[in-house]
Amino acid sequence: MQSEYIIEMLNIRKEFPGIVANDDITLQLKSGEIHALLGENGAGKSTLMSVLFGLYQPEQGVIKKNGEVVTINNPNDATALNIGMVHQHFKLIDVFTVLDNIILGAEDTRMGFLQKQEARKKVEELSRRYGLKVDLNAKVEDITVGMQQRVEILKMLYRDNEILIFDEPTAVLTPQEIDELMATMKGFAAEGKSILFITHKLNEIMAVADRCTVLRKGKYIGTVNIADTTKQELSNMMVGRPVQLQVEKKDANPGDTVLEVKGLTVPSKIHKNDAVKNVSFQVRSGEIVCIAGIDGNGQTELIHGLTGLEKTSGGTITLCGKDISRGSIRYRSETGMSHIPEDRHKHGLVLDFTLEQNMVLQSFQSSRFQKLGFIKNDAVRAYADTLIEQYDVRSGQGPVTIARSMSGGNQQKAIIAREMDRNKPLVVAVQPTRGLDVGAIEHIHKELVAQRDAGKAVLLVSLELDEVMNLSDRILVMYEGEIVGELDPKTTTVQELGLYMAGAKKAEGGK
Amino acid sequence: MTFVVQQTLLFAIPLMIVALAGVFAERSGIINLALEGIMIMGAFVGVYFVRLMQDFDVFLDAARMGNYWTLQGLELLAMLVAAVFGALFSLLLSFAAVNLKADQTIGGTALNLMAPALVLFLVRILANQNTLQMTQGDAASWFMIKKSTFGVDKNVQWGFLGETFLNKVYLATYICILVFVVLSVILYFTKFGLRLRACGENPQAADSLGINVYRMRYAGTTISGALAGMGGFVYALTATNCTANGDVAGFGFLALAVMIFGNWKPLNIALGALLFGLFKCIAAGYGSIDINGDGVFMLAEIGISSHLYRMLPYLITLIVLSFTSKKSRAPKAEGIPYDKGSR
Amino acid sequence: MNKGKTLLNSDSSRKVFASLLSIVIGLAVGALVAAIVGLSKDNIGGKGIWDGVRLIFLGLLSTGREAGQLTWGFNPSSWGNMLFRATPLIMTGLSVAVAFKTGLFNIGAPGQYLMGTLATLFIALEIPSEAVPPAIIWLLAFLGGMLAGALWGAIPGLLKAFLNINEVLACIMTNWIAANVVTWLFDISNLKNVAEGTKTGYIYKTTFNNVATSKMGLDKLFPESQVNGGILIAILIAIVVYIIMNKTTLGYQLKACGANRHAARYAGIPDKRNIILSMAMAGALAAGGASLYWLSGNTEFYWITYQALPAAGFNGIPVALLALNHPIAVVFSGIFMAMLNIVGQQLTTLTAYNEYITDVVIAVIVYLSAFSLVIQMWLGKRKAKKGGKTV
Repeated sequence: MQSEYIIEMLNIRKEFPGIVANDDITLQLKSGEIHALLGENGAGKSTLMSVLFGLYQPEQGVIKKNGEVVTINNPNDATALNIGMVHQHFKLIDVFTVLDNIILGAEDTRMGFLQKQEARKKVEELSRRYGLKVDLNAKVEDITVGMQQRVEILKMLYRDNEILIFDEPTAVLTPQEIDELMATMKGFAAEGKSILFITHKLNEIMAVADRCTVLRKGKYIGTVNIADTTKQELSNMMVGRPVQLQVEKKDANPGDTVLEVKGLTVPSKIHKNDAVKNVSFQVRSGEIVCIAGIDGNGQTELIHGLTGLEKTSGGTITLCGKDISRGSIRYRSETGMSHIPEDRHKHGLVLDFTLEQNMVLQSFQSSRFQKLGFIKNDAVRAYADTLIEQYDVRSGQGPVTIARSMSGGNQQKAIIAREMDRNKPLVVAVQPTRGLDVGAIEHIHKELVAQRDAGKAVLLVSLELDEVMNLSDRILVMYEGEIVGELDPKTTTVQELGLYMAGAKKAEGGK
Repeated sequence: MTFVVQQTLLFAIPLMIVALAGVFAERSGIINLALEGIMIMGAFVGVYFVRLMQDFDVFLDAARMGNYWTLQGLELLAMLVAAVFGALFSLLLSFAAVNLKADQTIGGTALNLMAPALVLFLVRILANQNTLQMTQGDAASWFMIKKSTFGVDKNVQWGFLGETFLNKVYLATYICILVFVVLSVILYFTKFGLRLRACGENPQAADSLGINVYRMRYAGTTISGALAGMGGFVYALTATNCTANGDVAGFGFLALAVMIFGNWKPLNIALGALLFGLFKCIAAGYGSIDINGDGVFMLAEIGISSHLYRMLPYLITLIVLSFTSKKSRAPKAEGIPYDKGSR
Repeated sequence: MNKGKTLLNSDSSRKVFASLLSIVIGLAVGALVAAIVGLSKDNIGGKGIWDGVRLIFLGLLSTGREAGQLTWGFNPSSWGNMLFRATPLIMTGLSVAVAFKTGLFNIGAPGQYLMGTLATLFIALEIPSEAVPPAIIWLLAFLGGMLAGALWGAIPGLLKAFLNINEVLACIMTNWIAANVVTWLFDISNLKNVAEGTKTGYIYKTTFNNVATSKMGLDKLFPESQVNGGILIAILIAIVVYIIMNKTTLGYQLKACGANRHAARYAGIPDKRNIILSMAMAGALAAGGASLYWLSGNTEFYWITYQALPAAGFNGIPVALLALNHPIAVVFSGIFMAMLNIVGQQLTTLTAYNEYITDVVIAVIVYLSAFSLVIQMWLGKRKAKKGGKTV
């Protein structure tokens, strides 16, 4: 008896210490369909896929293939069942060649020695057939993110996988590359391969998926046919309440120039070229300027050069009328800069410190918190209590909670509390909503708009197109270390923005 | 010149093989700071094994009758035993690092403290002194390959190559070179090598492809332990005349430096080991080095203090590291415990 | 039962308990090794094993042997010597602990200790006590020793901060360089003891120049021992280190750099300066240990040291690890390590065993401390933090 479904995950339950990541979740994948799995960050999508892929064992529930119960104890079992996955964070070995990455774990050998000729032929054939262009001899660290993704896809095809899982595949791609990927996925489906497409982007689901299963906070919400639903309905299912897809804000009312960057150049740590090339722009009080672009086009280095985390090799930075180009990190931030860093675990917090210690990370040397080099513990505690209250930072033990034990959203709130309370004229926010759920995102967007309305100059770096379009008053697009265009979000379209991000379009002479 | 080459090899070979030991551990993702301790262990076990075997008539007769090939067999056996015990000892590190996800630096330090303590304790009890020696004869009389080994009179001249590489050498040296080549090939051209290297760079990726990271890390560290144990005995045999006293003069740490200097790559490591061997040779025997064979011991006559020569290898190591460390690239995941459940 | 549970739930008591457990396991392993060796050797026998095991646990309380039986009681000489030997261990322990707090593994304490020895002995012996009051010489020798250690410790710090050389490797190299430098300089000095012709290779005791640490009355408490005021100075320094690390902005910066160098940089804390500073502090502390040891005036330094590094330096590592890098706890773990030293001495004189068994005990303790966190978690069987996922 042939089942209608190629893969079924029935009543899956998976617990981690302290939380139930998957609570009675059912997912049924039909042969030859593109099935979207929708949910917020932390809804349990990745956990469910890891269960299917054999990385985790569920406490309850069964997995069936073609109607028969199967056990998947490790990725080898999954591969044997022809299940393959493109992980959100690519599982590639940077120093290996593309070919070595593709064959790793499924090597041909003769007497223990690697035989790569057959493999090379097979990969070249697959690459041609599906139009997945890759350079087999290049090292992964030298190729673009888009090509890395194609390597991941080829890894699945090389293993003759029939069930393909894509975990948030579009986060790192330009709109044009996204279109290509969608076409590739449709091609796979047309050949009879079955696709699970994990995402939180509604547009993409509407564009390619046949059906969609929605998860929320580890629970199964429902499965719908895309033809019978709308974006708003999917969104409500995902979040559990009606969501404003649009950020509410008044028109900007820009004032004086707060930050003026002229000809800034930052050398790259990875390659010989400059990561930021001769970039000039300004940010005025009362406006949100957003730097858009695909990840890895110099945004990180630009901000590091601006804040002093990395040395610049040319150009001037003027903040509030003072030249800070050569200033120390401390001098820059004291001159008038708050900085919500890109990586809250790497830069934003000392995870092993308590919450209150983290709250004074920038200001412990002010006379408010120290006297003759001795820290005033009472003053620190009182200050931390105030911020916790004011910014609604939730944690287990209040000011003495170890930062590591807090949730991502609350960690970010703590950073925002610390940086906003410093009350500096320039707010630099780098991907402030990365990895957070809708509630937290809304909260942070409101805070940034409030800062703008209070007359702050806000410099936002974002990879999320929606965030760019909704939040900013001006958009600067970065491509390969240069600002290739300045756009007005009111008059531009996502498609046009995408062309700039992909480097296909370039404004002459900048502004 | 023959003296310089032989002395250099004397130091370079143990360094090279132990540096490769470091490579196997680190390429699998485990920092093996315990190389020194494992060497000490291997040296002790090897020498003790030789001592035990000296009670057997077959070896005593062989030594008396000049049956050298039996003795070469004993040498190989002792190397093997040292390797086995080195591997066993390194399991303490693998267990702490892989199963308990312990701090690898501290775990390695513990082994470094443990080995000399245990060895000295046992040597004192076994031999009633601080150094364990062979019960009779020494490395040179039992194990060294000489002209008489081949039944040739010692006055016969063999020319430079023969005098340097066949006379007054140890079989262990050549075995080490062979092992070094074989393992380097395995590291780069086999499925096992590919997977091992993957675990040191990106264990999450390896795991997602069905590679058992824990097992590979155990394999890497165990090979590392075996090589370091063997290297320890080879050092004891060739450099300290087959004695063990709970000390290998910092060779394990020098080997780590050679490994970093060689950028975790076997060929560079071999070159690095030769370089350091040369400096060690100068430090140890600068007084009797006759560079161009004119009977003038130049290094001794320049009048530089012997103290300076002795610290030279360490000084050079630091200087070389200063120049290479910016470019050096350690396996990305080394030192980080791999936790399957971490999200 | 209930009380035990709440005790184990407190974080700090769990840490103390984990350390105590490590000690007990370490001693037990030592006893086990002694027993196994004893069983395999005919000359030790059951009684020998029993004596050895008892001494491993209680060697501090041994007063010797009478009529073939071990005798027990308060042995003032053992206690006094324990405190004397604890002095450098506490200092090197503090050295390793301070570096650890800044995320650095200071395995360079032996070299720093040697440089402290060098500077201290030169100052204490070369300044004529006829011209300068001994107390001033003492102070200069002590501070000079610490300064020398600070400068020597700063070298791996500089290499780490500016060239990103692994500090463990740099420390090991500087250790051996220090051993050679010290041998060299003493070799060409006029401080080699020729007055007492009994032994060769030793430097004069500082008492030859009338310089010695005050006994501060401790010799009355522990007669016939080497104890002196150095132990009190070491304890005082431990308290100062505690205050610096926990109450000042300097300590805050050092710990921030240690816990997350990137975040410290982000917040404008000069990470490179702090790394160098931390290693310099560590060096000063280790060298201070040497100063206090040699300024006691009753020990003489064996200067041909290029082949061996001082154990007092390396033993700072187990002292710090056992104390979980807490400066006050270092005092106790330092004294404990010194006690093991006394135990080893008793084993050597009273049984067929030797002092190296106590080094095995120390190694086991270090090994256990490598996964001290696992032990702590196992002790607490703590429940995972709940409510972590709500925003």
